[in-house]
Amino acid sequence: QEGEGLTGAHVFICIISVSVTRDFYKILGVPKSASIRDIKKAYRKLALQLHPDRNKDDPEAQDRFADLGAAYEVLSDEEKRKQYDMYGEEGLKEGHHSSHDDIFSSFFGNFGTFFGGNQRQQDRNVPRGNDIVLDLEVTLEEVYSGNFVEVVRNKPVAKEAPGKRKCNCRQEMRTTQLGPGRFQMTQEVVCDECPNVKLVNEERTLEVEIEQGVRDDMEYPFIGEGEPHIDGEPGDLRFRIKVMKHPVFERRGDDLYTNVTISLVEALVGFEMDIHHLDGHKVHIVRDKITKPGAKVWKKGEGLPNFDNNNIRGSLIVTFDIEFPKEQLDEQQKEGEREKALDGVQGYVQGESERQDVNGSIGQEVLCSIFKHFPVSHLQ
Amino acid sequence: MRYTRFFIRLAVLVCIALKCESGETEFNYVTCGSLVKLLNTRHNVRLHSHDVKYGSGSGQQSVTGVESADDANSYWRVRGKPNEPCQRGAPIKCGQAIRLTHMNTGRNLHTHHFASPLSSNQEVSAFGENGEGDDLDVWTVQCSGTHWERDEAVRFKHKGTDVFLSVTGEQYSHPIRGQREVHGMPSANHHNYWKAMEGVFIKTSVEPRHRDEL
Repeated sequence: QEGEGLTGAHVFICIISVSVTRDFYKILGVPKSASIRDIKKAYRKLALQLHPDRNKDDPEAQDRFADLGAAYEVLSDEEKRKQYDMYGEEGLKEGHHSSHDDIFSSFFGNFGTFFGGNQRQQDRNVPRGNDIVLDLEVTLEEVYSGNFVEVVRNKPVAKEAPGKRKCNCRQEMRTTQLGPGRFQMTQEVVCDECPNVKLVNEERTLEVEIEQGVRDDMEYPFIGEGEPHIDGEPGDLRFRIKVMKHPVFERRGDDLYTNVTISLVEALVGFEMDIHHLDGHKVHIVRDKITKPGAKVWKKGEGLPNFDNNNIRGSLIVTFDIEFPKEQLDEQQKEGEREKALDGVQGYVQGESERQDVNGSIGQEVLCSIFKHFPVSHLQ
Repeated sequence: MRYTRFFIRLAVLVCIALKCESGETEFNYVTCGSLVKLLNTRHNVRLHSHDVKYGSGSGQQSVTGVESADDANSYWRVRGKPNEPCQRGAPIKCGQAIRLTHMNTGRNLHTHHFASPLSSNQEVSAFGENGEGDDLDVWTVQCSGTHWERDEAVRFKHKGTDVFLSVTGEQYSHPIRGQREVHGMPSANHHNYWKAMEGVFIKTSVEPRHRDEL
């Protein structure tokens, strides 16, 4: 009986301590081995969904959003993540906590007007600072695997200053009476009085995501990170994606095209090879048939991830070129090759008759005539 | 002994101090692909361009110096030489040849053998379309260390004609009243120092990891 009581108490304590510590990995939905990039990607996706402004009917939205922010703050910092992995949430030292709004705005800009689409339209009369558009060059490797680019935004920010200044200056027509029945219309500049502002430079880091499958000219806006307007709102900072040409792969939609050169022998007898893909993994290609110049091999699922659904992938299309000898052979070389070819052919034909070839084996006479016209350097 | 304990404590303090210093934005380089405003340190104006052509000389788009700090027409993009793109986020080395492309008009900072309108130095214009101009768009960054740092004043020396990007204070009147003339001068002096100010500075990235490394 005593034993039971003790177990019960232990279980009780266990439950309490577990419910106090938050599982940051679970909150972000990432495995313990997640890279910093995976963590950023998970935060960015969830932050949009869980933002309180977007879930006004949910009373727990604020807490869930705060949990998300705390999870990101710890797991994105190498030191804090180490401490958390070893000691849990209690093990974290009381350090500087970034506000959850700060974290959100480093991914999206100043969210004050982000979800307030209506607000923006109402305030159409509020003057707006210029937008900044930055062309961001990305590699095909980044389009395949995704990436995050950190940028430092240094911008002028309007701060209160002592005194007043002239604002909302405009031209107005004034009518003055010069005499009975004589009037004069003049144009005057009329200003209001506003609190004085000065421009102070401030800096912050922004996180730009290169999403998998992103296409040329897609834009990622950061609200309010553009140029300020003294009498109004700042403009936006927009990153415009520019996908660079790749030396090996050509992109067409979600499909990738590449060319591979094989030798004359490989074209006739077949071959096995690996193509190194954009993230380093190998695509294995096996051919045991004749490969004509310009022949294509389709590898489904080896293309780029689709932007709207990363689980769908395009195809990799490999086009084969055949490499012919660059210089003509002299008579002696030609004789030598014919000899070699005949020896090799016999072995090939023997092998051919042993194998079951659905397309039918090539007759010896045909092979001989082929080798007469196309000199072969090696035949094993 | 007492001294060793003291030194250990001192070392710990130094370590903590250094860690405190390395805040989020310790990133101090001007990198390839960054957008930047350049301030002439002698005359306190920013390099600027706009859709206004010179009334003399080449008749190309004019480049000036402006006093305001919040004009989007003062943003220039740091790029590599023609046909030799630099790697995104790579810090620009001292002595490296670059192009400066005007963000809003897509024209490159350019100079050639024409006289500037106010001081008769060498005219500096904005030339090209969509970031592509010619070999006279190339400038060399001259600085004292190994890389172009944001808080350092640097010089821009033109590759083709060897002049330095400068301001000596002459002012335009209508329609660009108050803006200063920007020109090329053969001598290196305190009129040709420029400092990176506001902008969007791309940090050096790590390549996406390869699957076999994981």
